[in-house]
Amino acid sequence: MAGDARGASWLLKARKEYSGDSMEHGGEGSRAALGHEALAYADTLYNLARYLTGNQTDAEDLVQDTYTRALQGAAQFTPGTNLKAWLFRILRNTFISHYRRQRHNPTIGGLDTVDPTAQGPTREEWLRDDLELERLRKVVGAEIERALMTLSEEARTVILLDLEGLTEVEVAQIVGCAVGTVKSRLARARAALRLLLKDYAR
Amino acid sequence: MNCQEVQPRLLDYQRGRLLEPAALEEIRAHLEGCTACAREEAGEQALTKALEERLPQHPAPLALKRSLAAQWPMRSVPRPSWWSLWGRSLVPAFAVAAVLLAVMPLYYQHAILSQGSGPGMVAEAVNDHLRILSSQHPLDIESGGMHQVKPWFEGRLDFAPVVSFLGDQEFPLQGGAVGYFLDRKSAVFIFHRRLHAISLFVFRAGDLPWPARGGEPLGNTEAYTTVARGFNVILWQSGELGYALVSDLDRQELTQLALKLAGAA
Repeated sequence: MAGDARGASWLLKARKEYSGDSMEHGGEGSRAALGHEALAYADTLYNLARYLTGNQTDAEDLVQDTYTRALQGAAQFTPGTNLKAWLFRILRNTFISHYRRQRHNPTIGGLDTVDPTAQGPTREEWLRDDLELERLRKVVGAEIERALMTLSEEARTVILLDLEGLTEVEVAQIVGCAVGTVKSRLARARAALRLLLKDYAR
Repeated sequence: MNCQEVQPRLLDYQRGRLLEPAALEEIRAHLEGCTACAREEAGEQALTKALEERLPQHPAPLALKRSLAAQWPMRSVPRPSWWSLWGRSLVPAFAVAAVLLAVMPLYYQHAILSQGSGPGMVAEAVNDHLRILSSQHPLDIESGGMHQVKPWFEGRLDFAPVVSFLGDQEFPLQGGAVGYFLDRKSAVFIFHRRLHAISLFVFRAGDLPWPARGGEPLGNTEAYTTVARGFNVILWQSGELGYALVSDLDRQELTQLALKLAGAA
């Protein structure tokens, strides 16, 4: 699979870069405790990785790398803050720096580039239709997944992080932008998803 | 609030993120009077529900979780003080291990072989039989009959197992394997009787604590029959070879097989 080959080269690069001792080492006790807690998020992280990379092999590599980086940077984690959000940030940064740029994005680039008003009328049009709402209620899992995968990676990320129950402030920290940007990005991503789902359910 | 103000705040409204009671109340009032915004809100709710309840979740594969769990403690060790800390505790541990390695075989031989009159041999026979029962692949060679099984042992043992019984309809031979009986190699033959498995171990008889008495005639030799942990065990010698027959089969039937094996039937 071509994706696997791309994933492998990306990983090699990532491992080389992060295998150095540049990061500060934390205390063994805190590190072990952190490790124990961090492992509890393996499923959640893998799920996001799967939706970001679109395949199992790359998702596994991405999660593996996320934990390696988290371990090396354990001292930089502030106890008492949101560990889940911290891990998500590492995962996303790893994805951005070593994966995304090698991969052709199949969709509309960043959602921020889409003019929000351009979607207005269409959206209102279908939302007024109760039948469309009914279709949205009947859409099946595979269709939702397919629709989500056609959105840009930024849109997928904000939708999934929001779904994970992270606040807009936390999402903003993870994706590295302003809270207002997260808010508008999320709104546009959800609107785009609803439009797609409407078409799938037709 | 008008529609333009309400719609961007609908998600916050649904998520309970609007902390100001006044704003919350204004949105609620607006939704009651505005069909477009009410439908928008219903659409958002339907999407959230679809995502929460129907979007496939991909849990991390177990192999990945195991690898992550193994990685964490392992990767936390390369601090400079680690080796010196562990090195100090490893030196005495290695010393103890070395002493145990030297002493244990002697102790084992003393403990097992010097139990006198057979119990050590009986216990070993039962243990070996249990190992075969619990093994997924107890047989090195599946039986095509004794004429296939016996030649298979050539070159695998330092003796030739003499077994005069080839298996029959009552006691079909299932196959063979190379095992150990106490400190020596043994030829293992597995017979069957209905649903019972029967193990026969053939080994060099010398220097073993054979029972001195309690033997009963078995063909030209004497057999020592006993029960251990619910298994019937029959031990006998023939020339330089020793035989141990073990099964949960009843004593009479097992003796019947022993007679056949000893060439007395």
